[in-house]
Amino acid sequence: MSAILLIAIPLLAAFLSIMMKKTSSYILLAVGIFNVVLLFILPDGFVIIGGFRQPLGINLLLDTYSRIALLLLNSLILVITYLNLKSYKSYGTILMLALAGLNGLVLTNDLFNFFVFLEISGIAAYLITTSNKKPRSTFHYLILGSVGSSLFLFGVIILYAMYGTLNIVGMIRLIQASGNYKEVILPFTLMFIGLGVEAKLLPFNSWVKGVLGNSNTLSGPMIASVYAGSMSFVLGRLITNLFNFQGSLLTIVTIILAVGIVAGDLMAFASTKTREILLFSSVAQASIIALLFVNGIIIWAVYLIIANALSKTVMFLVINKATKDVGSDESQDLRGLFIKNILVGVTFTLATLSVMGLPLLVGFKIKLAFLTGLADANHIWLIAIILIASVIEGIYFVRLLVKLWYKGDKEINVSYNYSFKTVFVIIALALLVFGTYSTPLNYLDNSIDTVMEEVNNG
Amino acid sequence: MIQYAAIILFVFGIYGLFTNKNVIKMIISLNIMEIGLNIFIISIGFNYDGIAPIISSTNDLGYIFVDPLPQALVLTAIVIGVGTTALGLAIAKNIYKTYNTFELDEMEESA
Amino acid sequence: MKNLFGFLISVTLGIFMILALTNTNAFPEFGHASIDNRVSSQYLNIDNVEEVGSGNIVTAIVVGYRGFDTLGEVTVLFISALGVAFMLSSPKQKRIDLKFKPNFMLRVGSKILFGIILVTSFYIILHGHLTPGGGFPGGAIIASSVLLLYLADDKFRSNIKSFKILEGVAGSLFVIIGLLGLVFATYFLQNFLPAGHVGELLSAGIIPIIYILIGLKVGSEIAGIVDNFLTEEESA
Repeated sequence: MSAILLIAIPLLAAFLSIMMKKTSSYILLAVGIFNVVLLFILPDGFVIIGGFRQPLGINLLLDTYSRIALLLLNSLILVITYLNLKSYKSYGTILMLALAGLNGLVLTNDLFNFFVFLEISGIAAYLITTSNKKPRSTFHYLILGSVGSSLFLFGVIILYAMYGTLNIVGMIRLIQASGNYKEVILPFTLMFIGLGVEAKLLPFNSWVKGVLGNSNTLSGPMIASVYAGSMSFVLGRLITNLFNFQGSLLTIVTIILAVGIVAGDLMAFASTKTREILLFSSVAQASIIALLFVNGIIIWAVYLIIANALSKTVMFLVINKATKDVGSDESQDLRGLFIKNILVGVTFTLATLSVMGLPLLVGFKIKLAFLTGLADANHIWLIAIILIASVIEGIYFVRLLVKLWYKGDKEINVSYNYSFKTVFVIIALALLVFGTYSTPLNYLDNSIDTVMEEVNNG
Repeated sequence: MIQYAAIILFVFGIYGLFTNKNVIKMIISLNIMEIGLNIFIISIGFNYDGIAPIISSTNDLGYIFVDPLPQALVLTAIVIGVGTTALGLAIAKNIYKTYNTFELDEMEESA
Repeated sequence: MKNLFGFLISVTLGIFMILALTNTNAFPEFGHASIDNRVSSQYLNIDNVEEVGSGNIVTAIVVGYRGFDTLGEVTVLFISALGVAFMLSSPKQKRIDLKFKPNFMLRVGSKILFGIILVTSFYIILHGHLTPGGGFPGGAIIASSVLLLYLADDKFRSNIKSFKILEGVAGSLFVIIGLLGLVFATYFLQNFLPAGHVGELLSAGIIPIIYILIGLKVGSEIAGIVDNFLTEEESA
């Protein structure tokens, strides 16, 4: 049993499923369950492919950090597929390939392999967004995604020409040995821009408005929770181990991320469409996560990724189903949504309060912990920016909640079936439980990312 | 010299993506950018005294070879570019069916 | 206004890259790449060459050392062909009417050329471990022969179902060979057939087999893409 099966089995199933189109979604469910079970029994460590030792061949790295990321995205894809079995039946093969691509992205320890899996996941994402029936937004996403990947590859090639290896652990050793940071500013900038396009950092995220602003129950949660979560995980791993921003590059990156937080929240405040409010809030949260990784607060950034992915799944599923039934997503037209759907309304409210960071929910514990971490490192103005952004966030979310709970002029009839409600309740309970009893959160700490350990051991 | 030309092609492609409004021209600019990138990748392995990395029999030693790894990377990059271009053209055909034009300026948000 | 902005950004990016690259000592000058401190020096070491068995070192890297990347690339092409079929296909289809109507000589002559092109492609695929070439160019040549038939005859449609089955089977066999490596040897995609002598046709273990599968897969996928673009819905 080796970790390569997490990637090989979905690929095999995808290749075979084009001959059996009718049952592709059920095969996907089986593969997803197999992956989740496999994650609990695999040992930690490097997995060598092809029998060639490092650095001749490619290898994968499975440690606690990747295990958490893999568990999150495999279970979310399983849940989203199950909820969309009736409405989006023909997307089974595409989702299997997205699963294989994202698993490979999180596991790999080789830079060019990272690029190949980035492209696989990217093309799967473009195909998932075609379900929105808006070819212009898909085209815009395709162009920006290809430019981002090309910039990333450019950076990787410059690093290869300078240091002669493509293995991440080996490259970190060589960069530390040479000690000259000025030489690697150009490749790191290009790689950061390339990943920033996918991870929704400003100013490279003009595709988000078109894609998530017209989303449905399949593409909304997939792009906003699964893809956003995985891209944040891999961006974090590269930022803390490989990039190691210093000097003027650190200042520039911090400014870009801080502007991203404020701009994202301001744009959410200025919008009246519910899907746009949610997606701009995701943009702001992605910038906060990247900022935490830059400052070395790894474990709370990981918890923030998980909390955001779970909350945004609930929020996007609620709003997308409502939009499909009502026909529009202006907050005026969705007034009074929760009067007839009280359980759904309560879970949506809990998820929103967790994103805002109010007490009793896990979002509050996480926010308190990372603000303390930033204060310990004396970044007072960053704390000020995050607090100002939180105030703006509070205003627009409360405004949205008020509109959704109180009756408007028209009656709205939206119904959620039983499986949707079960998922909502489970996620909301998890957010509540970990918010009040949060000692399990303190068991893990910054050492879950073992790449630097491997570098120093070799 | 070749590396300057490769970077200039890359920058041409990015400029084309900023300024063009026709969907087909944007796909062509994307391709020009990828061509520049591929030429740059091959150029980092080149050695004026080197020969092609093919060993016909086990007596071929003592020669200087050019770097075979960038050539393998370019193989993959070209195929990925082909895949993305095919997908882009299919989306362009769908855009034409929905809006009846290829110019981004003339499309109304009616669909 | 946007043109000026785009121009400034592109030119700044280009100048930034050129200045940074010329001022970096570790980045080698063009034409003087020394492979001694790169990984490739170990690929070209004679013991490793005999262990893998392929004379063409680029093939040894693409299918041997970095075979996992090739699996990923084959997946990219697969998902692109799948996407094109997903977006452009409809239940009843016929060929698009073009303005150019081919004549009798073109239709017959193209069938002769089709055979010659197909033989060339098989030669290039089979000799991937001895000469430059391999599965990817060979597959593209197969697809170009199919394109020739499409362009020369405006009533021709290839057998799409059999192409799809060929594509699925070839891809699954690639992953299954990798999994067999996991079962018989210890690692995924490990070579479990004998390596033979460098320079002979029957050498290099699983490399020729994988290249044949890749060539068939690439050929059938691109032929499928060609068919999807040259047909449209029957407006009956």
